[in-house]
Parts: sequence; structure tokens; C-alpha cells
Amino acid sequence: MDEENKLAGLDRHALVLAIWLSAGFVALASFHYGFGAGGVWWFAGGFACIFAAFACHVVVNTVLGTDFSAREVALGLVAFLAAMLAVVLATLSLDGFAERNFLPITMGMTGLVAVVIFYMVTSFGTRAAFNAFDVIRNNNPRRAAILRRPGDRR
Amino acid sequence: MTGILATSLVLLAALGLYVASMVARQGFSATGFFDGDRMVPGWALMFGLTGIIVAGLGFSDQLVIMARFGLQASHVGIGAVVAALVALLIYKRLWLAARIGGFATAGVALGEYYQSTTLRLIMIGLALIFGLPYSAHLLSGSAALLAAASDGSISRSAAVWGIAFIVFLPAVIGGWRALALLIALETAIFVVLLIAVTGFSEIVLVKPGFTSAGIPVPAGILADRLPGVIQYSAGIGKDQPVGGVFTTMGVLSNALVLAGLFLSPVGLHLALTSRAGKGLARGLVWLVAGLAAGIVVVVLPFLAARVVGNPVAFAGELAKIELFMGAGLVFALVLAGQIAIFAFTGGGAILVCRELVTSYLLPGKSPQGDRLAARITIAVFFMTLATCATFAPLASAIVGSLAMPMALQMLPAFLGLTFVPWISRSAVLTGLIVGGLFVFFTEAAGLVFVEGLFGDLPWGRWPLTIHSALWGLAMNGTAVLLVSIFTRRKERTHRDRLHHEFASQWRTDFGGRYARGAKWSLTLIWAFLALGPGAILGNTFFSQPIFTEGDTMLGIPSLWAWQILFWLIGVPLVWWLAERSRLGHTVEAPVRTATMLETSGRRPAEAPAWIAAAIARVTER
Repeated sequence: MDEENKLAGLDRHALVLAIWLSAGFVALASFHYGFGAGGVWWFAGGFACIFAAFACHVVVNTVLGTDFSAREVALGLVAFLAAMLAVVLATLSLDGFAERNFLPITMGMTGLVAVVIFYMVTSFGTRAAFNAFDVIRNNNPRRAAILRRPGDRR
Repeated sequence: MTGILATSLVLLAALGLYVASMVARQGFSATGFFDGDRMVPGWALMFGLTGIIVAGLGFSDQLVIMARFGLQASHVGIGAVVAALVALLIYKRLWLAARIGGFATAGVALGEYYQSTTLRLIMIGLALIFGLPYSAHLLSGSAALLAAASDGSISRSAAVWGIAFIVFLPAVIGGWRALALLIALETAIFVVLLIAVTGFSEIVLVKPGFTSAGIPVPAGILADRLPGVIQYSAGIGKDQPVGGVFTTMGVLSNALVLAGLFLSPVGLHLALTSRAGKGLARGLVWLVAGLAAGIVVVVLPFLAARVVGNPVAFAGELAKIELFMGAGLVFALVLAGQIAIFAFTGGGAILVCRELVTSYLLPGKSPQGDRLAARITIAVFFMTLATCATFAPLASAIVGSLAMPMALQMLPAFLGLTFVPWISRSAVLTGLIVGGLFVFFTEAAGLVFVEGLFGDLPWGRWPLTIHSALWGLAMNGTAVLLVSIFTRRKERTHRDRLHHEFASQWRTDFGGRYARGAKWSLTLIWAFLALGPGAILGNTFFSQPIFTEGDTMLGIPSLWAWQILFWLIGVPLVWWLAERSRLGHTVEAPVRTATMLETSGRRPAEAPAWIAAAIARVTER
């Protein structure tokens, strides 16, 4: 990566940090209040913050002509899985948690998955979005076996 | 709340370290430490300008003032539109001048354009006032907030040194670029946090807020009206203006003070070191005139009505309902102070080093040597800052009150550099002396000085409810005009070199005859009605409309509706100048460099004889 690209990468990184940190704090507070006295609408508010931050991140990518970096994808997946695990553990171990919180949280998380899928489909197309997860198709290590595009001949 | 606050501050420190080390690892040139290689990204410029105006205002102070004076104080927020207009006039051409003449800072640009070392020293003086006493006042306020919010678990002194250290590390590691990125990043967090806390308190709290009960001000203060066009008051400290201090002249003069933030050395440096593009236009239109003015005009009244002069008590009340939001309010207020310290102390240290240490005191060092000098200067600045904030908060507040009005006195000098070639060096210097004296003697610093040494003066602070900045600017402008009549041809050839370059390559397109007339006349009409004497109409315009017999039931104070209306009109006005006249657009290619330095008769890194002699007296014994 040349100097200018490194510089642009750093600027983008700081901008993305600004988006997620500001939205993250508000989402955290909203969820915290939702778990306490708030209820369903505060969960909705928390998820709305996450959706807004994701939308801003996509806008930044579009304006700067970049894509989600591998680290960002990895961090997003880890955070999502950790949140899912926390919800499952809380459901199993905390009395009354499931009755009150399970539905809004799972709906929100399902919404997050739906938004990511929607983004992938609109950005890359249905086939390319599916191919991103299609690890079986390229499992042949021989170079000649790797397809550059779907439908290519070997 | 203490635990969350402490954790948030530690995370903020980690963020600062992370960004600064990322910047340092990019392998900038040593000179990039001073200016980020003039590649500060557009988004950082946009949020940075917003941060400078919102945090530089002294956000906690502004909140308390609003809780005391009500909507008359929030009217000052429209001043962000005025500040954006002033910045539009100055910033683009200063940016171009820096590239045409090869000027490293705004001080160098002024010095070379007017061939005056004095002007460079005045800019250094401004950087010092902003960076030390003014920032020390803000730091002291932030530390007091933290100490109160933690019930003394974090002492005020510990908070002062802790915050200073948190801000010092990124500055010394990453230099100007890290500072610019962090100012922008923290501004984004601050804005979102502030709006979220205000929205949360309005939704959750049962107690009547701004729309139902108004701002509970002390008796005798008009909460939702401007107390006249002007009042014949001797000034604060001598008598009490009836109904409050923010008459329309008070509002106008306080609004002008905000322009002083954009004329501060650091504000100018941020614009000067930005990358070419439309960031300036977008930042000034949508974030400064739009968001920053909107926060003060629309959001702050809600918060001020709840805070009632004590943000910490309100944060405690909020924390009982939701811990994160209570801590979020205190954190946002501390963040505002921190943004200002990042800008004025971190940036100020870099500028002072660039303009004083590497230019005059230790000229001719290698770029690495200059960078080391900058790091040492930053360390000295932060040590002094923390010491002032710990041991002399009152003195810092008194001296720091000079910062913004003094910075505004640079307006004629910058107008000369950018648009008006007949403003001469003698005119600028005379204006600065006269304006500076008027500011000094109508501000707390001058009054304390004279009354402490000699005896009582017949006037107090801001006589006739007019802020010292306007007193100074009026006298400054008059002096500049008068002196320029006699000296406008002096050294004109040198000054014209830059203006010829502007005229031939970078002509500003204000449109045809009618468009040009409309731009200036509409701006003046807007200013008259939004901030000037015409704003008095807003007191009753929507509640008791003229030419009608009855009253209307608007549901909100008439003055607030007037403020929102003229804030909303002000934004397209700024857009018109920024986008249509392209005053907010900068383009990198191809800037033809002019040889401004050759005609000034000395090399840029050469110290004036008196400075060299003074150093020699100390070092050559």
C-alpha cells in the first residue's frame, strides 16, 4: 500500500471509529435502560442506533470508494456472536429474562442479520452475496480449479 | 456514576493513544508533525470547525448562562451563522495564499504579506492566550465537574492533571494530524451524546420541561424576551441591566465573539492545513451554521430548563433513572472542555513552536530537531496549563476572557490579506492597538488591573451591554479606515502581488450585478433582523402579531420561534456564499507560487535583530 492509500485508510478508519463510538455509547445506554425500567421501545432505540451507524458506515464506504475491511467484518461477527451468546446464557440463567427480553432482542438481532443480507444483496447481487459464503465451491486447492466468476469454465 | 465516568475517561485516553500511534506509524515527514503534511481530511475539517465553535464557546459555561438568562442567552447561538460567514470570507483565500506564497501558518502569511514581525508576534500572543489561560479556565471547569460528579472521589487537582495528561499524550505522539482527527472524532461523540441525553431526559423525566414550564430564571430576568435594543448600563460589576444583559446589541456583540474562535490561530491553522475539496463548504454550511447553531438554539433550551444552573445535580437525577445517561451528560461536558484543550493547547503549542521557536529562537535546525523542539514545547505548554488550572483558576479565567475578543481584532488584518489590498500595515497595527486597548479596558482583565492599581473606573465589563469584542472591533475598524486613507499606497506593490494572483487565477464569483447586490443586502438584512436591533421584534412577533388586535396561542415563546426561523434562514444564506460563490471550495491544482518572501528583504528563518540579540545575551556568556 503506498503512502497516500495508507493515509486515506487511516482517515477512513478514524471516521468509522467516530461513527461507531458515538452510536455505540447511545445504543449501550438505550439497551441498559431497556433491560431496566425502559422496556421494548428502548431496545428498538438501541437497535436503531446500530442500524444508523451501519448505514453511516455504508455511506462512508460509498463516498470513499472502499469496502468493509476484513478486520471490520471479523470484529462485527465476533461482536454479534458474543451478543448472541450473552443472550442465550442470560435466557438460560436469569429468571424472568426470557419472558421480558427474549422477543425484542431476538427480533432486533434478526433485523441486524436482515439488514446485512439486504446490504450484501444490493451491493454485490444475490449470487455474489451467496458466493461470499460458498466455501465448498473453491475447496479444490489446485489453481486451475478456482473459478474467478460463477459460471466460468475450469 | 464515578465508575462509569472513570472508565469512559480511560477508554477515551486509550482512543487518543490509539489514533495518535496510528498517525505516528504512518511515517509522516518531520515537518508533517506541524501541519499533517497539509492533508487533514475534509470530514475532520468539518467536525473540527464544529468542535472549535461549540467547545470553544465554553459549553458548560454557556449551559449555566442559559439556565440563568433563558432564551436571550441562547440567541447568541445564531452567531455560529455569523462565524461561518466570516470564515467563508477568510479561509478559502488564506488557504490559497498559503499555497501561493508558501506560508506555513496564518501568522507567517500575515507577517510576510504586511512585512511585519509584530503581526507574527501578535499571532503568537493569541496562540498563548488561547492555549494557556483560556484553556486552563476550561480545564479547571471540566475538572470541577468531574470532582463534583464523583462526590470528591476524584479530586479537582487529580482531574486537572489527569485530563491534561490524557490530552498531552496524543498531541506529543501524533502531532497536528492526530490532534485534528481527535478533535473531529470527539466532536462527533460529543454532539451525538448531547442530543441523546437531551432527548432521553425529555422522554423519561416527568417534571415539566422547557416547552411546558420554560426556563426557570432568577427573579428580574426575562426568560423568553430580549431586554431591549440597548441599555444605558455602566457595565457588569457597576450596575445590573434590567431584565438581563443580552439586549440586541449584547446578542450581536456576543455573536461576533464566536467569529473570534475561527480567527484564533488554531482555527486558521485547521483550515489552512486541510486537503483541497468541498469540506470547508460542507462543514461551515451544514455543521457550523446548521448543527452547531441548531444545538445552541434548539437543543440547549431543553437542557437549560432541566439543569437550572447545576449540571452535576441534574446528572445525578438522571443517573438515578439511567446510569449511562447521567454519566453521559457529565462525560459530554468534560469532552467539550477536552476538545477545546486539544485544539487550543495542543495546536497552540505546535504553532508557537513553529512560529517562535523554530523561526526565531532556534532557526536552522533539521526537521527532526524541529519536531523534537515541538514535542518539548507541547510538554511545557501542558505543564503550564495544568499548573494554571490547578493553582490559578480565577486568574486564568480573567486573562482567558481576552482570548476571543482579541482574536476578533484580527479581522481587518485578514480582510486585508484576502480581499482589501488598500489596508496597510500601519492601519492594521494602529487598529490592533486601539481595538486591543478597548477590549482590554472593557473586559475583566483590564478592569481588575486598573482598579487594583489605581482606582475605580466609571465603567464595568461590557458597558451599554455591548461585549468588549464589538467595542474593540468598532474602534479597530475606524482606526483602520482612517489610517488607510493616508497610507493605502504604502508598500502597495508588495501586497498587490498576492491580490493580482487572486484576481488572475482565483477570482471569486459573486455573480452578476443583481446577484452581488442581493448577496450583500440580504446578508445585512438577515443580520439586522436575526441579531441586530431588528431582533427585538421577535419578542412578540408571533405571540402578538402586528396589525392584529388579538394574541395568538403559539405554544412556544415567540422569541424561540424567531430564533429558529432566522437560524433556518441563515443556513441557506451561508450555503449561497459557500456553494454558489464557491467560497467554500478549494482546489489543489495548479497553484502558481508567487515570490512573496523575496520582496520582504529577509529570509524566512532569520530572527529579527532584537530577538537574536536578546538570545545572544543569555546564551553567549
